[in-house]
Amino acid sequence: MAAIGFSSISNAPRRAYLTCGLIAAIGHAIRYVLMLPDWLGMHIIAAGAIASFAIGVLAVLLAPRIKCPAEVCFFPALLPMIPGMYAYRTVEALLSCLYYTHGDTFAYYFHQLAYNGLTCVFIVLSMVVGATIPVFLFKKLSFTATR
Amino acid sequence: MYPETPRMTTLMMNRRSDTADSAAFLAEYAALLLGCGATCIRTEKNTRRMAGALGYGVDMCIMPSHVYVWVWKGDNEQRDMAARKTAGGGISFHLNALLSRLSWEVADNHLDYHTAVKRFKSICETAPTGGREVLLLTSLANASFCRLFGGDVAAMVIVFVSTLLGYKLKQIMLEERCDVRLTFLCASFFSATFSAGGHIFGIGSTPEIALGTSVLYLIPGVPYMNAVSDMLYHHYLCAFSRFMDAAILTACLSAGLCAGMLILGMKWF
Repeated sequence: MAAIGFSSISNAPRRAYLTCGLIAAIGHAIRYVLMLPDWLGMHIIAAGAIASFAIGVLAVLLAPRIKCPAEVCFFPALLPMIPGMYAYRTVEALLSCLYYTHGDTFAYYFHQLAYNGLTCVFIVLSMVVGATIPVFLFKKLSFTATR
Repeated sequence: MYPETPRMTTLMMNRRSDTADSAAFLAEYAALLLGCGATCIRTEKNTRRMAGALGYGVDMCIMPSHVYVWVWKGDNEQRDMAARKTAGGGISFHLNALLSRLSWEVADNHLDYHTAVKRFKSICETAPTGGREVLLLTSLANASFCRLFGGDVAAMVIVFVSTLLGYKLKQIMLEERCDVRLTFLCASFFSATFSAGGHIFGIGSTPEIALGTSVLYLIPGVPYMNAVSDMLYHHYLCAFSRFMDAAILTACLSAGLCAGMLILGMKWF
C-alpha cells in the first residue's frame, strides 16, 4: 500500500501500481528475513543493500511488461525501506543536544545523534546504490523497457 | 498540462524541418524529459535515439537547469544549437514513460519529423494524476508506513489525517505558485503539529512513531536516487545539483518538524 501510494505522488502510470506494490513487498520481505535474529541476523544496512539490489533486478525485469522505465518501479518500491525512525531519532537527538548542553546528558544525546545519523545515511546510501546497480548492469534491458 | 514555449510551436509547426527546427524540438524534448524526473543518461540516450532516427547527428550538454543541443546533418559543417530551460512541472513518471516510448516509436516506426512533433505536443497536454486520488493514496501510504515502523491503529489514524492535511496544504501552496521550500516547511510544520496531538493528549501507545512518520511523505526520494544515477554516469554537476536540491528540501521539512515540536513545547527527550 505504501509503495502504491508513493508511486501516485510521482505521477506513475496506473498500470504500474500493482507491479510497484509487488516489488516493494518482495523487497521488504527479503530484508525482514535477512534480519531475523534466529536466521542470518544481518545488520539493517547490509540487509537493506541486498533487498534493494533484488528490487533493482525485479524492476529491470518487470519494467518491460508494463512499458515503463525501471525507475518507475524501483523508486516507490524502495520507499517503504526508508529508515524513517532513524531519521526521526537523529532530529530528536539534535534538538536534545541543543537543549541539554552540559555533562553526560549532552554526551548521551550526541552519541545518539551520531549513531542514528550515520546509520540513516548508510542505509539510504546502500539502498540507492543497491537499486541503481542492476540498471547499470543490465543497461540494454533497462533502456529498452518502453520499446 | 506541462509547460511548452510559444517558440516551439511557431518553429516546429509552421516552418520546414531543418536543423534549427530539429535542434529546437530535441532541446524541448530533452528539457521536458529532464524536468519530469528522468536521469541524465536516459535523457541523453532518448534524445540521441530520436535524432539518429530523424537523420541528424546530435551533441548535447546537460546542465542542472538548462539543456543545450547541437544538431547537424551529414557533412557536419553546419551546426545549429538550441538551449532550453529544464521544465518545472514536477516529477511525473507517466510523462517519463510516454516520452521514452515516443523516442522508440520514432526509431522503430520511422516516424517523420512532423508526426514526432505532433505526438510530442499531445504528450505535453497529458494531464497529471488527479489531485484527490494522489491525496488519498499518499495518506494511505503514509499510514501504512506508520504500521511498518511499528505504530498502532491510533498512530495510523493520526498519520493518515496529518498527511491528508499536510499534503492538501502542499497542493494548495504549489497551485498558488509558492516557493517549493516554503511549501515543504509549512506542510511539514502542519503535519507535525497535528500528529503531535497524539502525544499531547496521550492517544495510543506509539505517539512518537506517529510524529516521526507524519512528515515522511515529503522526503524527495526521486532527486536523491537520480543524483546517484547521474554520478554513476559521470554527470557530476547534475548529480550535485539534484543532491543539493533534495538536501535543501529535506532540511526544510526537518525545520518544519522541529518548529512544530518546539512550539508545542514537547520535551519527552
